[in-house]
Amino acid sequence: MTETEFRWVSKPGRVREDRRFVSGRGRYVADITPPGTLHVALVTSPHAHARITGIDAAEALEMDGVVAVLTGAELAKETEPLKQYLNVPQVQWRPLAAGETRYAGEWVAAVVAESRAVAEDGAERVFVDYEPLPLVLDPEEAAEDGSPLVHPDHGTNVMAHREFRWGDVDGDRARAAGTTRVRSRWNRNSTVPLETFGVVARWDRGRDLLDVWASIQMPQFPEQLARSLRLPTNQVRVHFDVDVGGSYGVKRGIKHGVLAAHLSRMLDAPVKLIEDRAENMHGGDFHGPDRLFEVELAYTADGEFTSIRIDVLDDEGAYPGRSPLQLAKPIGAIVGPYRIPSVEYNATAVVTNKTGQVAVRGFGQSPTNYAIEAAVDAVARDLGMDRMELRRRNFIRPEEFPYRIPSGTEYDSGDYPAVLDKAVALADLPALEARRDELRAGGRLAGIGVAACLEPGGGNAIFENIMNPSNDKTTFPEACRLRVDGEGAVTVVIALSSSGQSHDTMVATLVGEELGRDPAGIAVVRADSLTGMPSQSPVGSRMTIVLGQAIRGAGDELKDKMRAIAAHNLGVGPDEVDYDGGDVAVRADPARRLAWAEIAAIAHRKQHLMPPGVQPGLEVVHAAHTPRSGALAQPDGTVQVYPCYSFEVHLVLAALDPGTGKVELDRYYIAHDCGTVINPDVVRGMVYGGTAHGIGVALYEQFAYSPEGQPLTQSFMDYLLPSAHEVPTIVDTEHCTPSPYTTLGQKGVGEAGYMGAPAAVAGAVNDALTAAGAPPVHSLPIKPGDVWAALRAARDDHRGDK
Amino acid sequence: MKPVDFELHRPATTAEAVALLAEHAPEAKVLAGGQSLLPLLNFRLARPEHLVDLGRIAALAELRRTRDELVVGAMVRQARAERSPAVAADAPLLAAAFPNIAHPPIRNRGTVGGSLAHADPAAELPAVARALDAVLVAAGPAGRREIAARDFFQANLMTVLEADELLVEIRFPRAAPGTGASFQEVGRRSGDFALVGVAAQVTVRDGVVEEARVCVTGVAPTPHRAAEAEEPLTGRPLTEARLAAAADALRAAIDPSGDLHAPGEYRRDVAGTLAVRAVAQAHRRATEHAAAAA
Repeated sequence: MTETEFRWVSKPGRVREDRRFVSGRGRYVADITPPGTLHVALVTSPHAHARITGIDAAEALEMDGVVAVLTGAELAKETEPLKQYLNVPQVQWRPLAAGETRYAGEWVAAVVAESRAVAEDGAERVFVDYEPLPLVLDPEEAAEDGSPLVHPDHGTNVMAHREFRWGDVDGDRARAAGTTRVRSRWNRNSTVPLETFGVVARWDRGRDLLDVWASIQMPQFPEQLARSLRLPTNQVRVHFDVDVGGSYGVKRGIKHGVLAAHLSRMLDAPVKLIEDRAENMHGGDFHGPDRLFEVELAYTADGEFTSIRIDVLDDEGAYPGRSPLQLAKPIGAIVGPYRIPSVEYNATAVVTNKTGQVAVRGFGQSPTNYAIEAAVDAVARDLGMDRMELRRRNFIRPEEFPYRIPSGTEYDSGDYPAVLDKAVALADLPALEARRDELRAGGRLAGIGVAACLEPGGGNAIFENIMNPSNDKTTFPEACRLRVDGEGAVTVVIALSSSGQSHDTMVATLVGEELGRDPAGIAVVRADSLTGMPSQSPVGSRMTIVLGQAIRGAGDELKDKMRAIAAHNLGVGPDEVDYDGGDVAVRADPARRLAWAEIAAIAHRKQHLMPPGVQPGLEVVHAAHTPRSGALAQPDGTVQVYPCYSFEVHLVLAALDPGTGKVELDRYYIAHDCGTVINPDVVRGMVYGGTAHGIGVALYEQFAYSPEGQPLTQSFMDYLLPSAHEVPTIVDTEHCTPSPYTTLGQKGVGEAGYMGAPAAVAGAVNDALTAAGAPPVHSLPIKPGDVWAALRAARDDHRGDK
Repeated sequence: MKPVDFELHRPATTAEAVALLAEHAPEAKVLAGGQSLLPLLNFRLARPEHLVDLGRIAALAELRRTRDELVVGAMVRQARAERSPAVAADAPLLAAAFPNIAHPPIRNRGTVGGSLAHADPAAELPAVARALDAVLVAAGPAGRREIAARDFFQANLMTVLEADELLVEIRFPRAAPGTGASFQEVGRRSGDFALVGVAAQVTVRDGVVEEARVCVTGVAPTPHRAAEAEEPLTGRPLTEARLAAAADALRAAIDPSGDLHAPGEYRRDVAGTLAVRAVAQAHRRATEHAAAAA
């Protein structure tokens, strides 16, 4: 299917959310304050690891406006621990530390007051006695026998260790002419939205109903709240008509939700908890992957890859939660865009005395992409081969799709050489090289980075089964309700909150395309978790794919019903009519037709014109599985992970100041393929935003800790998000290889840009460094001091040679 | 991140402000542009019971020149001074520093006096004051006193101002003909506090460096006035060898500490590199200025 067949899909169209966000009319959780709301501030641990020996809240409770103080021990009696996805019963994650605190910044007690300011005053008057315990911060040290234990009852800091071998690893290594090994470090960062996590909870004693408004992007949030609160799931109502001020995975907030809900139940009043920046950065349990990689690529003398080994050690922080699963998701794209016949993948998750990790954009894919691409660049250096030529030589060829990689996933479609060609043409590579040379002639170091990376889309949760075979979840459905009222107006109901992905635009466009009705007139509204349909929330670049499937199903069911009503009134059989842009016409005589408005009127008001046995109204609900899901992983870990594989090539020119080590990005080009584009502006926004995020990872962003485990990143003064100064003009182009497994050929785009930018920017810096005789830097973020040190090492080496 | 409860005072005159400080010291803090103080209040790192807001005192926002000096009121906003032709003509180093201070919205609120009284060793204006040997005028219960910049900065975020004293104006000597300036710094991002920065002002006469002033940010608890770098440059023509010698002398004289953003050794080395660039650019501008004046 080509885009010219679409009426609205792929066409420039207004992003309907923009108006309310640009004009300040969004409604965020901080804007929601039911009458009588009380506010929470947290007492946090100053120690990275300590036993809590006493908590004295008497002074706080005497203060005007302070209503209650809750300790971790008190909360633990009334609630269940938060969910772990591994079988680690001795690891108890709770909203407030009970007995022991396992990182500096962990929440130890909650103060509830009539205002947030008074709650903060009260938090200063809660006195906690601690007995410091041995701590561990370094993940390699944490993995060793004899290391201090974060959870002593568990007996080890290693939460998960899986070893996988796919294909003939030994044979493929034996036929290789050489190997290249790169150790790389993806330091701790995250997506750090301007809006911290927030929640308002209101327990209604008269109705036995908990209402929750939250800044949420999390599958099973309502169920997990209910479980921890020991409530039946049908007494928890999570509202999804709340705008979420940024997320890309991190707006989980389950501990915040449980705490606020419990306090509301305890105090019989609405309770609001909006993290401040310090509570968020130090104790929000929302940091992202923190990984040490060793990648070894084996190749022939011609540069054909024969095998890859990836060892990865991930520092989960103190509470692993869902984060170890981020080691399994990349299994679905473990060879990147390359034909590599065998793979060895060894993944280890350890805990340390730091705040916990959570899902971050790409669920572990971007760090893995970075590690693979760093190794590919190193092979090119070792072979003296052009980096683009090496990639071309190893790309899966367009005629090979669907292509099964050794770990069991089949890539749906793609044309990697064509996308690389587009990037090269877009950048005008000879001109880019001339610009590089001009920068060098002007006294700067300069280098070109290239990255060719995949974005798996259509997220299912099969990684839960890969990492923990006892978890047999095989579907991750989405659903929508499609209703045409008696006046013919179309409303789509979805049951999820959005954090900037423009779902209203996407849903209206897809429904309009399915029904042949103008999307501008289609309303999109949000149900809550009790009135809504199954949804796993917009994670894993999945909504256009899975919700798109549900929309197709709902559209088909609606059309069937309309055809039945029309055929009955036109005096023909249901299979003798066609749906035609809203009208239904007799196939043999298209002039005989029933218009959209008439069918709607009959369905809602005219029983005498309805076919017998057909329900009144025009309303359908359709739920869809993720495409290609449904199977459990084989014992060797092979399984179809995500269904769709978007692709992107970045070409970036970096200029380095040889005196200060400061890196500037001089030119930035991306060619991107996410199959059929639904809305070009939304796709472009995702590509730009994800690239900015990746530039942050490559050069600026890091959550760092002192040797005592104190967080050094205190605020946005130290956690450096790239600004408009640091993000260059991004020039992009689209390519389209439709997915054969989705309704219109669409693939995922929510992680675009971020998938390749860290690898590309690091590659550009390393190209500049190695051209100057300095060693590459394989640790992100690359700070000016790292560049300076690499250049100094080269200079000292040079002096040493003399 | 809510401040501890405080009382806000908004005096209309310097005398009222001084009286309020005298009444409430040491529990009072002066609020100028608020660009450093308000975050400190929100982090509860500063916990004053009284805030004395200088925003309504018109006399503190005057910018004027005398025969020998450029006099900048403590409440002159950085953005206003940045655009002032008088500043550009009389204190080119001050003018060169402003674009390096954070971002325009911060300079719209931030004041010259506020930055000096806050005395962050990574900030630009303390280095400029120290490089130019500015005179800082304080008002207190006993009247006014003049403080030399070399005496003003005591330690990280500490000055000689007493708790009941107020910085009211800063006097910068007007630049001689044949003077050029440059401010060079490197930060992780544009607008961040610099990892290290160098303020340099050079006056040339007849091809000879008559005077070189060099001051470095971010390498010591107070701005580092680099006499050791000025000395080999002064009284002779500028050469690459002398620049290199000045940079090496500077590197040998400092011992900066490291942090999350850069190690101390980086700061030491880059201070020298930036000094070379700053002095060279200041010298170029001075030479142009001298040629234009001739």
